[in-house]
Amino acid sequence: MNSATQSPPTRAAENAPQATSTRPLLAAQGLTKTYRMGAEELRVLSDCSLTVAGGEFVAIMGKSGSGKSTLLHILGALDVPQQGQLTFRDEPVFAPPNRRSQRVSMFDVLNSAERMRIRLRRRHFGFVFQFYHLLPELNVLENVLITRMVGLKTFAWPAGRAAARADALAILQRVGLGERLRHRPNQLSGGERQRVAIARALVHRPDVLLADEPTGNLDAENGASLMALLKGLHREGQTIVMVTHDSSVAQFADRTLVLERGRLRA
Amino acid sequence: MYKLFLTLRYLRKRRIAYFAIAAVTLCTAMVLIVMSVMGGFLDELKRKARGILSDLIVDNRSASGFPLYQEFIDEVSKWPEVAVASPVIYSYALLRFPDTEQTATVRAVGLRLKDAYVVNAFKDGLFYEKFYPDTTTLEPQKMPVIGYDPDAPRVKLHIDKGDFDVELPPRRLPPELQAALDRAMKDGVADDESVISEEEQLLRKAGMSPIIGVYDEASEGADPGWVGDELPGIIIGRDIVAERASDGRYRRFSFYPRGMRVILTLIPVSTSGSVDTPVKAAFRYADDSRSGIYDIDSQHVYCDFSLLQKLLEMSAAVRADGSGTIQARTSQVLVKTRPGVDAAVLAPRLEEAYRKVARNPAHQLDGVDSRLASLVRVYTWEQSQAHIIAPVEKERQLVTILFGIISLVAVVLVLCILYMIVLQKTRDIGIVKSIGGSSAGVAAIFVFYGAAVGIIGAALGTSLGYAFVVNINEIQAFLVRLNPAWQVWDRSVYSFDSIPSTVKTADMIGVVFVAICAATFGSLAAAWRAGSMQPVEALRYE
Ligand SMILES: Nc1ncnc2c1ncn2[C@@H]1O[C@H](COP(=O)(O)OP(=O)(O)OP(=O)(O)O)[C@@H](O)[C@H]1O
Ligand SMILES: [Mg+2]
Repeated sequence: MNSATQSPPTRAAENAPQATSTRPLLAAQGLTKTYRMGAEELRVLSDCSLTVAGGEFVAIMGKSGSGKSTLLHILGALDVPQQGQLTFRDEPVFAPPNRRSQRVSMFDVLNSAERMRIRLRRRHFGFVFQFYHLLPELNVLENVLITRMVGLKTFAWPAGRAAARADALAILQRVGLGERLRHRPNQLSGGERQRVAIARALVHRPDVLLADEPTGNLDAENGASLMALLKGLHREGQTIVMVTHDSSVAQFADRTLVLERGRLRA
Repeated sequence: MYKLFLTLRYLRKRRIAYFAIAAVTLCTAMVLIVMSVMGGFLDELKRKARGILSDLIVDNRSASGFPLYQEFIDEVSKWPEVAVASPVIYSYALLRFPDTEQTATVRAVGLRLKDAYVVNAFKDGLFYEKFYPDTTTLEPQKMPVIGYDPDAPRVKLHIDKGDFDVELPPRRLPPELQAALDRAMKDGVADDESVISEEEQLLRKAGMSPIIGVYDEASEGADPGWVGDELPGIIIGRDIVAERASDGRYRRFSFYPRGMRVILTLIPVSTSGSVDTPVKAAFRYADDSRSGIYDIDSQHVYCDFSLLQKLLEMSAAVRADGSGTIQARTSQVLVKTRPGVDAAVLAPRLEEAYRKVARNPAHQLDGVDSRLASLVRVYTWEQSQAHIIAPVEKERQLVTILFGIISLVAVVLVLCILYMIVLQKTRDIGIVKSIGGSSAGVAAIFVFYGAAVGIIGAALGTSLGYAFVVNINEIQAFLVRLNPAWQVWDRSVYSFDSIPSTVKTADMIGVVFVAICAATFGSLAAAWRAGSMQPVEALRYE
């Protein structure tokens, strides 16, 4: 942990002792996800299990269409499986199966499982999508700041604003976009957009960074520098779960799993 | 925090929202204009209805009238709350102008002129009384005529038409009238309500002293003076004897001179309710009156109370069989309260006072009279004018509701546009949810959006509507200058001189409130859809 001077320090770095503990940070048990389209049923995940310890860098590989994104969405509490459970620090993320409460509705505040998922997304997870997904109306800085805005209550924003801005500037500096704060996503290259997306996923110092094909749309050079960045973060103690179909990218991880016929294998 | 931030950002970047704002603006302006103009119309009507009435009206709603009014008046006049109580008789009549052979159906009003001056704004509506103070009377009078002063130097006049000169002796009014006119002129009373005839303009230009109103002329060389038989005076509704021009001023005609003889044919109504033989009486046109309500000014004539009472056989009499007296009757008693008295509180007390008078055995009312007396009620002026005001009030409500319904178009437009924005922004919604935005939070973005559209639209619309209403007469004038056919507000049709042009703060607040609520309401469907999106499905949305 000699990189403590680097900013922003990740939450994982602060909790460094946990990284070595045997208690998993994230544990998935028997995840099953099927897509139903009329009579046809597409089983993407079937009885898929996974544990991720704090500070680990896990890569998930698989063919296109094998369900990697689906799995990562479930791990990121963005999607709900039909069966199986996910725990974050031993806390269940999903309500018991076949409950209507799995559905997102206007009344999510009344649904404790959905409330838990919102809290995870807001504070504990950072998600990098396969296709960047930046907000086009916002500039680079705002795209990063929005994560902090969502995390803060309205009345807490004026007080937290300066710190949030400092963190956003620091993380943008780190991903090499310190000079492009006022640019809009459509004025950036693919690699730059991906780095904004990573900054957005990291600015609130999440416990887990979930990255879906972070290098998928980048050339070799950009891909390499991005992987260097992830490796650096990992060295600082950041837990990372990364999906990729590129084995040269998967090399950077501590552990590589392959998704095949709905299950993960080492 | 992010909700407001995104709302403002979307508002700035999504041009399509401007259409929603424009729709809200126009609807807000439209409703405000309609409410203000109709409301102004209503207020004006109320003000004018007030002008012809008193604070309280004692009435039994019977053409036969009711007895013991004088005893009642004598009693309540002692009360500190009552300023004046005065009897009034109403009757249908035919008014004939013998010189022009014109006849009009009118409502004859018998009143005590001196009381009427106090009870309401009747005096302010008189024409000749304004320019010839203290000369209007309902007492018997002769006809004033203009004369000429043969000794005074003649006034030279150039007639453009035909291009020749004439010399005329200066004209003179009878001394009493001339003195009254001079007094009024010295007090700065100006005649801005008459159309000045070409002839009068010419005479004034030549240096003759102005004469206001229309007088007959004595034969050449004669002195001014009073001619004809002494006949009781009558005040005629202005729209009967004068014509309202499109600019709101009145044109008087030489064939309706002041003091002209008119014949009133009245139909007495006996206490049995059957119609008796009509009676005719001659009067002199003493003055004309304007209340500002066309229905009244085109149909009412006013004469002395006692005279009309006698003509209608409503005065006291001894029974044919000598068995007793028939009580004098009136149609109404108008009561003016002193300042600060609540008419609604006084009304039941007055009613009770009348009952007490009627129950007094000393008056020995017979069956018919007691029945008429038992029907007497006391109304406040609002109650008694409900039949004029209520329809306009209803109309205002109706039109406001109609335009409100039309304004639902704006709500639907807000709904459509916001729904479209939600669809366009589906992926953004997924992103916001993926970083921890709750359903309510995401929905709030679009509810704020709707509210913002409402606030901006309502602010613009209120400003637009306000500017329009305040300048509505100027706008009308401008349109008329472009094309005279665009005269919407014809002053000869409406009794009001100008289109009502005040905006009430309460109306403004109400319209703004409803507009904001409506736009917010319009956003609910879109907000609901946005809020209940699954993050992953939203992100996959193409
Ligand atoms: N909402 C959905 N409805 C129906 N089918 C879906 C849905 N989402 C995903 N699928 C299907 O599930 C399968 C897995 O999709 P997923 O996006 O997880 O694949 P992936 O492994 O990430 O592929 P890639 O490497 O191309 O990104 C695909 O066959 C896809 O068609
Ligand atoms: Mg994928």
